[in-house]
Amino acid sequence: MDRPAKCSGDLQIAVLTEMHSPSAIWRSLLRRTFVIFLLFAAPFSQAEDFPLSFKTHCFDCHNDEKAKGKFNLKDLGTGPTEANLDRWLDVLDLVKAEEMPPEDESELEADARREMIAFVESKLKAHKSSKQITRSKVRRMNNREFENSVRDALLLEDIGTHFPTADLIGDSLHHGFDTHGETLGFSRFHLEQYINAVRQIVDATILSGERPEPKTHKISPDRIMREETGQNTSRPIRYGKDGYYDIADPNRAALFADFPSTKETGRYRITIEATGKDRMEYQTKHTGYYNDDPIQLAVHMGDRVKTFTLPDEEKIEIQLDEWLAAGTYLELRHPTDAFRMRGNGNFKFQNTIAALHHKEFHPAIYNQVVEKSRIADLKKRGKERNPDTWHNWTEYWEGARPRIFGVTVEGPFYDSWPPERQIALLGENPSVEKAREILRPIAERAWRKSIESSELDPVIELVERKVDSLGEIEALKEGIVSILVSPSFLMLNREQLNAVDHFAEKFSYFLQGTLPSSQLRQSIQDGDMADFEALSNQLKKQINSQQADEFLREFPFAWLELNDINFMSPDPQRYTFYHKKEVSEDMVDEVLHFFRHIAENNLPVTELLSANYSFVNADLAGIYGLEDVPADSQFRKYTFTDGRRGGLLGMGAFLTATADSLATSPIHRAVYVMENFMGIHPTPPPPDVEISEPDVRQAKTIKEILAAHTSDETCASCHKSIDPWGYAFENFDPTGAWRDVYVNPLSMDTGEGTSKRAQRKMEDIPIDASASFRNGKAYNDITEFRDQILTDANRDRFVRCFISKLLTYANGEEPGDSDYAEIDQILQKSAEHDYRMIETIAAVVDSPLFRGE
Amino acid sequence: MTSSRRKFLTGVGGALALPSLEAFGSGNPATTRCLIVGNPFGMHPEHFFPKDFGSDFTISRTLKSLDWLKDRLTILSHTDHNMVSGHGREVSFLSGVLPANAQAFPEKNMSIDQAMARHVGAQVRYPSINIGMGSGVRMSWTANGVENALITDPQQLFDHLFLNLSNEEKKVRREMIDRNGSILDTVGAQFSQLQKSGSKQDSERLDQFATSVRELEQTLGSRREWIGKDKPTFDISEHMNGGRTIHDNYNAIFDMVAYAFETDLTRVATVAFPTNLKYTEVEGVTRSYHGCTHNGKMEDVTNELVAIESFQIAQLSRCLKRLDAIQEPGRDGSMLDHTIVLFGSGMGYGGTHSNRNLPIFVAGGGFKHLGHVDTASPNGDNMPLCNLFLTLMQRFGIEREEFNTSTGTFDLQYG
Repeated sequence: MDRPAKCSGDLQIAVLTEMHSPSAIWRSLLRRTFVIFLLFAAPFSQAEDFPLSFKTHCFDCHNDEKAKGKFNLKDLGTGPTEANLDRWLDVLDLVKAEEMPPEDESELEADARREMIAFVESKLKAHKSSKQITRSKVRRMNNREFENSVRDALLLEDIGTHFPTADLIGDSLHHGFDTHGETLGFSRFHLEQYINAVRQIVDATILSGERPEPKTHKISPDRIMREETGQNTSRPIRYGKDGYYDIADPNRAALFADFPSTKETGRYRITIEATGKDRMEYQTKHTGYYNDDPIQLAVHMGDRVKTFTLPDEEKIEIQLDEWLAAGTYLELRHPTDAFRMRGNGNFKFQNTIAALHHKEFHPAIYNQVVEKSRIADLKKRGKERNPDTWHNWTEYWEGARPRIFGVTVEGPFYDSWPPERQIALLGENPSVEKAREILRPIAERAWRKSIESSELDPVIELVERKVDSLGEIEALKEGIVSILVSPSFLMLNREQLNAVDHFAEKFSYFLQGTLPSSQLRQSIQDGDMADFEALSNQLKKQINSQQADEFLREFPFAWLELNDINFMSPDPQRYTFYHKKEVSEDMVDEVLHFFRHIAENNLPVTELLSANYSFVNADLAGIYGLEDVPADSQFRKYTFTDGRRGGLLGMGAFLTATADSLATSPIHRAVYVMENFMGIHPTPPPPDVEISEPDVRQAKTIKEILAAHTSDETCASCHKSIDPWGYAFENFDPTGAWRDVYVNPLSMDTGEGTSKRAQRKMEDIPIDASASFRNGKAYNDITEFRDQILTDANRDRFVRCFISKLLTYANGEEPGDSDYAEIDQILQKSAEHDYRMIETIAAVVDSPLFRGE
Repeated sequence: MTSSRRKFLTGVGGALALPSLEAFGSGNPATTRCLIVGNPFGMHPEHFFPKDFGSDFTISRTLKSLDWLKDRLTILSHTDHNMVSGHGREVSFLSGVLPANAQAFPEKNMSIDQAMARHVGAQVRYPSINIGMGSGVRMSWTANGVENALITDPQQLFDHLFLNLSNEEKKVRREMIDRNGSILDTVGAQFSQLQKSGSKQDSERLDQFATSVRELEQTLGSRREWIGKDKPTFDISEHMNGGRTIHDNYNAIFDMVAYAFETDLTRVATVAFPTNLKYTEVEGVTRSYHGCTHNGKMEDVTNELVAIESFQIAQLSRCLKRLDAIQEPGRDGSMLDHTIVLFGSGMGYGGTHSNRNLPIFVAGGGFKHLGHVDTASPNGDNMPLCNLFLTLMQRFGIEREEFNTSTGTFDLQYG
């Protein structure tokens, strides 16, 4: 402890500080006895270079007696050290944001503030971190990267259509990130499943034995059957009619009775005759189907899906030519989130729409059916039933649907024997004698480096040992399997990689989630990505040629923790539209469209928060209450004029992910905004705090419920800084829809009988979405909040947070406090380019924190 | 790793001393079993905990189906892992350690079932079986700090436990084990090359890799030996022919667990009741499990939650009845008396997200049961749940004096 002595010449303070560890009683005794005396007798005396403002504006609340926010000015010592760096950073952040000193406590002149900031910044810059920048720690590749990497090591289009990785143990996420090294463990279960998965992939790529003969399977509509999803197995299987098969129920696939799956691995030609049927027949309000959406047909070949648009009432022929693994299941589906609006969403209840439709447009037929069922009911049950009941109308269904006239599956075909993909890996005449020559290029791709010959020795030995019992081809396959379960393949950031190979790996997994291509390695070798300019150009090229799609999808998904969107989904009985139209998927797509827009147009990252636009379709328009959006599922740019939405802050994804199922919580939303946008990590509540169970029956506003946050001083010291980040969103309900009053969930229609007690009327409560920040800036509602969110201080916070998230994604670990100065460099670089996204990413990639040297 | 490892299969295999065949009960005086049943959301406290304490307590609504076992139960009030509230802490149920803090503990966040499984080792065909329909509940963790893979379907469990292989299948399987064994040799040799050039900084996670190779070799070794031995036969068709409702599935699972204990296929089993089952097949339930926990104190929704929780208990109760009907071979008492049964959750109650006062009870195991116990200390602190775990491990025959956050044992006598 070298701080106390320097911190003050006063011996008693030194004694006090050394009393950190003894019992609380002892400590508080000491305090009571001496501290009050100290405050007067020996006022604050920091190291001499501290600006006076620290004493006049901070000391009153941050001293030994009163360490508000658990911060004592003494913690700062004479300058930043490894131990107190976080405190220095907090001081800089809060003083910059004008949140400290709180305006109701102490008024700080602008000049004095500038002086404090300059002082802290200079101290931080002078602080040379003792931690050397090194490469990120070794980590296991996650399952997503594993699939991509095996695919590229073996030069395939994908890992195969037979779900070869289905048994892999799922990756745990760390605050949304699937690249987090500490979270990605490794066990014998992982290793065993990797071996099994690689075996299955290799088996579907390298074929030995006789060349199978192609066969033609003609599948007539009456041999297409409906997938059974229910429990009742005694019900007869439904087949297509004479002439066609309609995929009426989107939840049930059409299966081929005589050809459920492929028996051999090879290329297959699949021909489907189909049309779209009755696209505009029913009204959207009944079906949830947008009549401007084309009817589509999805062809599922194991986990490979190809989707086609069908013309209305016009038979077309769809042809697919696909390499399918043995054991690939074939099925056809109608990909839509519609036809689930009635009842519990099961398709049978939708048949009532046929009744409503006939009643309105074909009364003669309607009356006929009603009469027929009336007589049948009377005869069978002795009483009439509601004639619109679904089972009277199954034969009359005319909802939009794909109609299949027939399917032909031909195959397996091979361009040559052995197939070309095999020749690409093993050459024309593979033999164990040439094992080294054959396996080396595979290993160089897989291990992401040039291979010295001895490195391959264990693999070659294996192949040579196995050739007698397994034969040439199978022995070489063993070699490939061993390459792909080796630590050199499965572990990223190995120290063995030279600087070029390391950067190639890093860059490639960052942008594409897979191993680097030979071109990428070459261009790095040639120095094409050695500096910021070159990197910016390279990023632009990749982002605009769809080569960075993995990043554009996975990074925002991880950053914004979108996997959690339905962790606490809105109550299914009270927010039916959200569930029946699967709106959470649209919400995730909105984020991805928006993020891609910013990236492709290289707009400032600050627009992620400040934009007055987003991308919406008709389902989101339903939630957001927009009238002027075309009635279809396409995403289009939409500019909001009411100041309430636009950018990430107005998106359903954020507003839903942070809400409970029946109520919203300004605290959850505040913490999300702070952690994911502002880079502030509020301390969790002390473990002994009793959090009362939300009681939705009570007529209290959230502010009344959270009254303790302002009345209890322990709560208030933190919540004064937290809550204002969340109250602004109170006008958004659990699905992200706008509300002017709190609607008592008990008065909401659940679609079925609620208890007497629940029906009790309660008056709606007006919403108060106002709050004031620590710095005295206040807002009345979300529009004012949005105006304030990008002050200079907040802008820096946001960009810094964005940079940190990029580094977390890339490095598999969060940057630490000691990386402050390096991140500051990135921030400066970003600022020089108007915070444009590509230059910001380039600055991250160019940083020693990314390069690891 | 040297090239002599290449012969690991014969090496390890030869060293294994396996019983000749799973007999009906081992008759071994040291045989103790353990069944752990857990859920992710805790229990509605007012309906789970009995109102009164002591051995003469009144059974609570949720535990109603255990009324027959009332004298052989210990229900623990006020015990927990001292975790802050919120989801995600329940993964520490059986260890008291969060994955994020696992590095601080020598055995990481290994759960007690795995500690017990390690103790049993290759004495039985399966050191432990871990079952959870669908997504399961994350409660079983290895000493590597990695989640244990679960069996997620009754048919899969049946095949795993009882399906005998044809001679041809045995041959194929042995060959595949040998092939995978050779792959491991190669990977091991390549790994040691890597390690030679690697620095300290990399070592921890690479060690994890090396441990995995070693453990998988051992697993393959004992698996190869067991292939030659026939499994006991068992018929669960009564549960597998019907609609495969949630009842059928759990009846099947628990019957198989009981029989696996009876035939000494395994001595440690965990069964989980995950979030996403079709609980709507339980009488009176129309909502999702998670939805019911956030009931806002509405009576109808709370009733549905209690129905789900009572269903879980009733399924367990049925299994315990079955175990109690089996005479422990060669020893006094029923099989239940030699089986430690633990029910609980790492979450106290989902409605408040509280992880304090976890719903915990112990049955069977030959304990001198105490009824409903308030385990809070005189100054009001809850007892670390690891104290109970330590007691259970000692009962299981593991000699150890502490377990993760334990501060002592829980006084539960046996014998």
